[in-house]
Amino acid sequence: MLSFFSSSNIFSTIEKLIRFIHSIFFLILVLGLTFALVLSPPDITQGDAVRIMYVHVPAAWISLSCYSAMTFFAIFNFIFKLKNFDLINKSIAPIGILFTCLAIATGSIWGQPTWGAWWVWDARLTSMIILLFFYLIYILSLKFINQETLAKKVSSIVLIIGAFNIPIIKYSVDWWNTLHQPASIKIGGTSTIHFSMITPLVLMLLVLLLYSALIFLMKYKTEIIRIKKKNINRL
Amino acid sequence: MITNLISMNGYGIYVTLSFGITTLACLIIYLKTLKTLKKYEREFSVELQKFSNEEKEAILKKSKVANQVMSSYNKTT
Repeated sequence: MLSFFSSSNIFSTIEKLIRFIHSIFFLILVLGLTFALVLSPPDITQGDAVRIMYVHVPAAWISLSCYSAMTFFAIFNFIFKLKNFDLINKSIAPIGILFTCLAIATGSIWGQPTWGAWWVWDARLTSMIILLFFYLIYILSLKFINQETLAKKVSSIVLIIGAFNIPIIKYSVDWWNTLHQPASIKIGGTSTIHFSMITPLVLMLLVLLLYSALIFLMKYKTEIIRIKKKNINRL
Repeated sequence: MITNLISMNGYGIYVTLSFGITTLACLIIYLKTLKTLKKYEREFSVELQKFSNEEKEAILKKSKVANQVMSSYNKTT
């Protein structure tokens, strides 16, 4: 069982997964865009501006999921001291920062026609900016701290401290009086979104998840090659 | 019909901007990641070429990863 996690097995699995994602990505992208931009109905109050939701919501979900996963791996790394968790986190971070920026940018664009402002210092928006700062501090600490062990320790601590912001982002719309609307999709409760809008949302989420998986696998593969190159004399 | 689809009752600019920014950012990150991956594959190949033929064969025989990196690199060159 454990032999499956050897770098050679992981490497060949990565190759297969990258090929698989490349083969299905464009089909799902075309399907997702058709539903999001053409087939889904306009909202009764927001009109066609609601279509921004099909990139904004998946981007925000992925950004939060990436940070949560990174925190989870950082805690695991503190306990089990496995080098692999650092590589995984290093490969997830660019995806997280990309989708945090996209969630903020598309949210700002959506804010103009619905709220009449590009930006407001509302609890949800402010907590997302704080999340972006934590991603930046994580990446900068890995880049600018020369001593490798110290860099890993500091970056892991940064991740764990920043994790306190995740529930704040999630519940900010319930705890404070915000311009940002409350969650329309509830895993445990009843969703207030119509089925005709859930289909494009799920499809676009799938598109962005596949894209994230592709970037993660390519980054992870790069990290493995970088390490193998460094230790080529020991091969 | 196409005009309606593009204008989206006046919201077209916001929708196009959101989807456009997302596509552009994703494309840039994808190309940058691919470029870095290819760069490391090339550098790995260059490092491997520094060894003698016997050593190279031994490395490729012993390390499955080295073998896969080389085959992936050779496919793209």
